[in-house]
Amino acid sequence: MKALDLLDDASAQLLGFDWLVNAAAPVSPYGARLFSELVPFRPGSEAAAESRARRIAEIADGLHPDRIAAARSLLQQLPDIVGVVARASMGEMLDDPAFLELLQFCEMLERIDASLATSTLVQPAANDATHAVSEALAPGGNEAEGFYLADAFEAELAAVRAAYAQAQAELNAARGREHESVARELGRDEIAGNEFIVMRSELRGALPEGVRVVREAATYLFCALEYGESSRNALERRDAAFITVAALEERARLKLSSIVREHAAGLGAAAGALSELDVTIGAVRFSQGHRCTAPVVTEEPALNFERARFLPLEAELTVAGRRYVPIDLDLRSAAVLTGPNMGGKSLALQTCGLLALCTAFGLPLPAVRARVGLFDQIAWLGTGLEERSGGLLSSFARELLGLREILARAASRLLIFVDEFARTTTPHEGKALVVALTERLRQRNACALVATHLQGVAAAAGVPHFAVRGLKGIRTPPAARNLHEALEALAASMDYTIADVSDDDVPGADAIALAELLGLDSELVKAAYRALSQ
Amino acid sequence: MELAREKGARAIFVVGTGKNVGKTTALLAMYESACRSGLRVGLASIGPKPLLRLHPNTVFITARPLLLPSPAVEILKISQLESSSGSLLYARTAHGGLYNLTGPSSASGLRAAVEEIAAHSDIVLIDGAIDRISTLASSDGAIVVSCGAAAAKTESEAICDVATLTARLRVPAFDPHAGVLELEGALTATMAADFIVAREERQIVVGDSTQIVMSGRSLAEALARLRIRCRRTFDVIATTVCAVAPERSFDPAAFLGAVADATKLPSFDVFAGKEVA
Repeated sequence: MKALDLLDDASAQLLGFDWLVNAAAPVSPYGARLFSELVPFRPGSEAAAESRARRIAEIADGLHPDRIAAARSLLQQLPDIVGVVARASMGEMLDDPAFLELLQFCEMLERIDASLATSTLVQPAANDATHAVSEALAPGGNEAEGFYLADAFEAELAAVRAAYAQAQAELNAARGREHESVARELGRDEIAGNEFIVMRSELRGALPEGVRVVREAATYLFCALEYGESSRNALERRDAAFITVAALEERARLKLSSIVREHAAGLGAAAGALSELDVTIGAVRFSQGHRCTAPVVTEEPALNFERARFLPLEAELTVAGRRYVPIDLDLRSAAVLTGPNMGGKSLALQTCGLLALCTAFGLPLPAVRARVGLFDQIAWLGTGLEERSGGLLSSFARELLGLREILARAASRLLIFVDEFARTTTPHEGKALVVALTERLRQRNACALVATHLQGVAAAAGVPHFAVRGLKGIRTPPAARNLHEALEALAASMDYTIADVSDDDVPGADAIALAELLGLDSELVKAAYRALSQ
Repeated sequence: MELAREKGARAIFVVGTGKNVGKTTALLAMYESACRSGLRVGLASIGPKPLLRLHPNTVFITARPLLLPSPAVEILKISQLESSSGSLLYARTAHGGLYNLTGPSSASGLRAAVEEIAAHSDIVLIDGAIDRISTLASSDGAIVVSCGAAAAKTESEAICDVATLTARLRVPAFDPHAGVLELEGALTATMAADFIVAREERQIVVGDSTQIVMSGRSLAEALARLRIRCRRTFDVIATTVCAVAPERSFDPAAFLGAVADATKLPSFDVFAGKEVA
């Protein structure tokens, strides 16, 4: 999947794009090629995006995950025949490994189709060409899934191979007799190979006939056993038989190659269908594995969903044995999101981003119900980006440059997530900048979620205000300063629900409560509460 | 071959003290012997070998670009492994003929190749190298060490080399009930010298003997004065000698006798048709 200019690298990382790519990736080289070229649906393609997501969700509902796993396993083993078919198309003679790959491809295609046959939404990838090639190569197959250029491929092949084997046997016999004779004359059990050493001390008389001295030394002779007349004649007959075998084997390969050439277009079509299938199966597996649903893809720039999850974090929490709380939101324009520290504001932004990305690529998304629009640009500004940049600029300066780039692009459909923008400058100037930015985003009809701790931004910018409800009071504060227990207590006491609040007056002092929970000394906490009350 | 079969070895790894010491000749002698016994033989190599004449029903590994079109072989499997000559495949000869043999260069690749070939054959013969020998540690494989005139300037140097190598390969397994000093990495000559000075009496345990990075006198000294042991051991069953090289030659009978004496292993001279048990 290519993000193209939908989002920049840093935003892609924060919104889990790479995670999503891995989660929905196909397994075969065919699928991988298509998948690498997938581009996001753009505004105006709502029907196509929705249709793709709906089809994937329907296949996910209709096929048992075991069948999907079986098909993926077969897809993973598929040999890549694209190069082989191209070579055959150009008139090249294929070799036996290529025939094995073609045979495996055609046979596996049948098995993949069979494993998915219960779904009417999945079109078979096998076709007449794959059937024909499979049938043509079948005599070369065996139970162990190998390939041999069998006698059946060429009428005279069996006879010439038998003649070759006979000629080789005659040569072996003739050569064996020569070895035995020399060994006997030298008083040895056997002579291994054509070169051997004769110790002078063991030599009685002359060397046997046919033994040539390669090298002489004081104590030994290094010798070679030459071919006698009988073995020379047998050698000539064997070589002649071999040439005949080689000619007929080539003829058989040429015939098979021409069959492949004849069906090259059909094999190409099967490979194309397989690409689609593999990409679809990858998406189906993603959908099944994460309990996804197809969104309604709206023409408006909006995000409206129930019980949505940011999957990368959910996976992390699941591994840690912790609970993930899904969220609901109805975002139709620019809006402000406030709430306590660790209340899930950044996560809400990431959840929105992931849902928008799934929709952009026609994937079902991790929510119970969703209506999501398509965008030209999805951007992130603020917390999270500073660690990804270096250089001499302050984090505030980097934020400003990032914002300048986003605004300069002037995407007609902008989805932007602003996470505590301007938090590192003076609060009153920072607030002024956040208000101005929010106003600008509202005027541009951008879909934006501006997370901030600053009060009064929504009212000042004239946009809706959402808030994470926050701490409900720590019921059982951990006795010791145990971070794990503190986080457990926090999670149990935090209401992560996002509410549309009517005014900017968000009560509570969750930051001080959090400081207490995380073990800050009690005197300091009390002093903070006193300062707050004044 | 008889020694290997007595030990129940399903793979024989031929390694040498250097180049041109008769590894391939030893391998082919074992191959011929195994074929005569009616065994289904598999062949592997860590690198490309010159064309070998193989009998029908031999399983071997080769690189796809090196596979000759005739006589046709049964392609058993196209491997994901790569070699310097290209991607590898497993094949079985249907007819006698000349075939190229090669294999993966990595130890893990070689292990995978040997396992695959073993699934189709009774015994696997591997033209190997000492730095890939960990493939066989504590397996049902055996090792044959080849030595020869080509790899040493003098006869005594050749004998010392093979004695050192076999001594290293035959370091025994550690005793789990006695005190051990486990080394994570290699045991070097410097470390061994420190242990000797410190009068270390515990077993000094390395993964396998390829992790004992010493040779010559320092190895002999270390083996004599320290209790060096391995977690995974090798089974060295024989040596082969090749007394003749283009540059020099040794007296074959004397060399064979000296190698057998120095290694305390059955030793064979394939060229002279001699053996010292």
